[in-house]
Amino acid sequence: MSLDLTKLVGQIVDLATSLKTLGRERAAKLDFALETIKSSAAEFNRLKQRVETSKTTWLVAGLKETIDLRRAAPTCPDDLIVLASDGSHIDVDRHQSASCFLINIGVAHLQYGRNPDAQLFSFPALYFKDDEMVIASPNGQRIQIEGQLLGVKRSVEECRVLAEQAGELKTDLPLVALLDGSLILWGLIGQAYPDFVVRELLVDCFLKYLNKLKEFSRLRQLAVASYISFPRSTDVVNVIRLAVCPYEPVDCDRNCHDKFGGRECDVVGGLLDRDLFARLLAPGERSAIFSSRSSVVMKYYGAQEINFFYLRLDGEVVRVEIPLWVAEDEKLIGLIHSAILDQCQRGLGYPVALSEAHEQAVVTGADREQFWGLVEQVLVEDKVFLESSAKQQSKRTRWI
Amino acid sequence: MKNQKLKMDMASKIAEVIEASSAEFTAQCYKLDQSPPLGSLVKTQDELGEIYGVVYNVETHSLDPGRRVIARGENLESNEDIFKVNPQLARLLSTDFKVMVVGHVQGKSLYHYLPPKPASIHSFVCTCRLEEVRAFTQSLDFLNLLVDVRLSVPVDEVTAACLRYASQAHSDPQGFLVKAGKELACLLGSDTRRLNSLLKRLK
Repeated sequence: MSLDLTKLVGQIVDLATSLKTLGRERAAKLDFALETIKSSAAEFNRLKQRVETSKTTWLVAGLKETIDLRRAAPTCPDDLIVLASDGSHIDVDRHQSASCFLINIGVAHLQYGRNPDAQLFSFPALYFKDDEMVIASPNGQRIQIEGQLLGVKRSVEECRVLAEQAGELKTDLPLVALLDGSLILWGLIGQAYPDFVVRELLVDCFLKYLNKLKEFSRLRQLAVASYISFPRSTDVVNVIRLAVCPYEPVDCDRNCHDKFGGRECDVVGGLLDRDLFARLLAPGERSAIFSSRSSVVMKYYGAQEINFFYLRLDGEVVRVEIPLWVAEDEKLIGLIHSAILDQCQRGLGYPVALSEAHEQAVVTGADREQFWGLVEQVLVEDKVFLESSAKQQSKRTRWI
Repeated sequence: MKNQKLKMDMASKIAEVIEASSAEFTAQCYKLDQSPPLGSLVKTQDELGEIYGVVYNVETHSLDPGRRVIARGENLESNEDIFKVNPQLARLLSTDFKVMVVGHVQGKSLYHYLPPKPASIHSFVCTCRLEEVRAFTQSLDFLNLLVDVRLSVPVDEVTAACLRYASQAHSDPQGFLVKAGKELACLLGSDTRRLNSLLKRLK
C-alpha cells in the first residue's frame, strides 16, 4: 500500500499552525539579537576575548571584525574562469553480489570575457580493491569506507579533482575554484573515528589538495571557496549568546548544566545565522569574515583554517567558506564575493558552475539500477557467480 | 588503404549518426545550429559503402531531456550575447537532423533505392559536394521514395526543398526543375491538387 495521505492531512494542518507561532516568536528574538549586536559593537574587543576564553556546548564563530560589518561587492572581472566540482556516489550495497562503491565527480569549467568557453565533464571511478575500500592503521585496524565515511571520501575526491583541474589550466586569467557544501569535513566529527582515519582523509588528502590550490595561487590570481545554500549554522547567533551570558567566565557545563531551555542565552535560541544576516545585509552585500572554531578545524586545519562570511542574494542568505590564505587577501575576498554574485545572477539564484558540475555528477535512481544491472551482466559474462540476497530479489520482483 | 580513403572522403564531416534504421537515420551535429539545409543531400560512409539521404527535419534541443531550455535574453542585446554570457549553453544543447535514405553506392555503382543495411551508428555524415549532388540527381528515381513516404513533417515541403537545392548543382537549374516536374506528374498523376501544390513550391 502507498502512504495514506488522508490520515496525514490533520497533522499537516497542525504543523502549519505550529510554524506560524514559531515564526512570531522568532521575529521577537531576532529584534532582540539585532539590538544586542548594535549595543555590543563598542565592546568588540571584550566580546572577542569572551569568545576565545569561553567554554560552550555550542559552536561559536571566531571574531575578526565587528558582527554588523557590511561590504558591497567590487566589480566582477570581465575575463574570469570559474571552475567547480561536485560529486555523487553509489554506496556499498550489502544486498548486492559485488562489494564495491562508485564515486562520480562532475566538473564545470566556465570561461567568461573575450574568449567565452565551457568544458563540462565527469570522472566516474569504481572502488573495489580491498585497499581502496578500507582505511587501515599501521597496527592493522581497518575501517570500511561506506555510509557517512564514503560521503567524506567523496568530498575529498571533489577537492582532489578541483585542485588537479586548476593545476592544468594554462591561462593567467583570474580563477575562482568552487566546491559545494562545507570545507569543514563535518562527517568526521561526532562519529568517533580513530585518529588515523581523520589523518588519512583530512590531513593527507583534503588539506593537501587545499594546499596545492594555495600553491597555484602564488602563480596566478586564484581563490577557492565553498558555497552553502540555505545554511543552518548558528556560529554567529552563538556569539550573541555569549554577549548576553551573565556568567564570567562563560562555562556552560559549570553554570547552566541543569537549565536546559531556561538559560539566559536562550533568548536567541532557535535563531539561525541566516535569519540575522537577512536583516543586516542588503542584497549583494557580504558580512564580516568570521573564523570557524570547530574542534576539527582547530586541531587539524592549521594554515588552511576555515573562515566564512554570509552573502545576501536576492532570494536567500548563503554561507561562503574560505581558507585563511583567501580570507587574508582583500583582493581574493573581493574576487570570490563578486564572482559568486555574478554566478548567481547567471544561474538564476545559484552559481551556474556549481549547478553544471552537479548535473555532470548526479547519479539518478535509474542510473543506479543500470549500474548494478551492468555489474551483474559483466559478472555473468565473465562467469563470476556471486550470491545475492533474497531481499534484493524480492525488491526487484514485486508480487501479490 | 580502405580506411585511409574513408578518412579523406570524410574530411568535411559535420555530424554523426546516432540513430539508424533501413529507411532513415538521425545525425547529431558537431556544432550547434550547423545543420545542412532542409532538403539537402548528405551522405554517410562505412566499410560497406556510401548511403545518400535527404535532410527532412532539423531540431535543436536540450541534450538532457529532463532539463528544459529557458529564455535568457531579456536584458541582452543580441542572440550572440546569450551564448557569450552563458558559454555552457553550447555544451548543453544539440542540433540533430533527420535524414531519409534515398540511395546508396556499392562498389562503384550508384543505386536509387534503399541499401541492404542501415547506416552504422556513429558513422560520420557530410554534406555532398555539388558534383556529387549533380551525379546523384542525374536520375530522378529517388523521387519515388520521397513522394510515397510518411514523415513527421509535410513530405511535399521536403520534396520541393530537395529539388530546389539539387537544381543549383545543375548547369541548367530551370531545365532540371522542368524535368523533375514531369517526373512528379507521372508519380502523382491522379492527385492533381497535390501535384499543383508541389509544382508551385519549385519556383
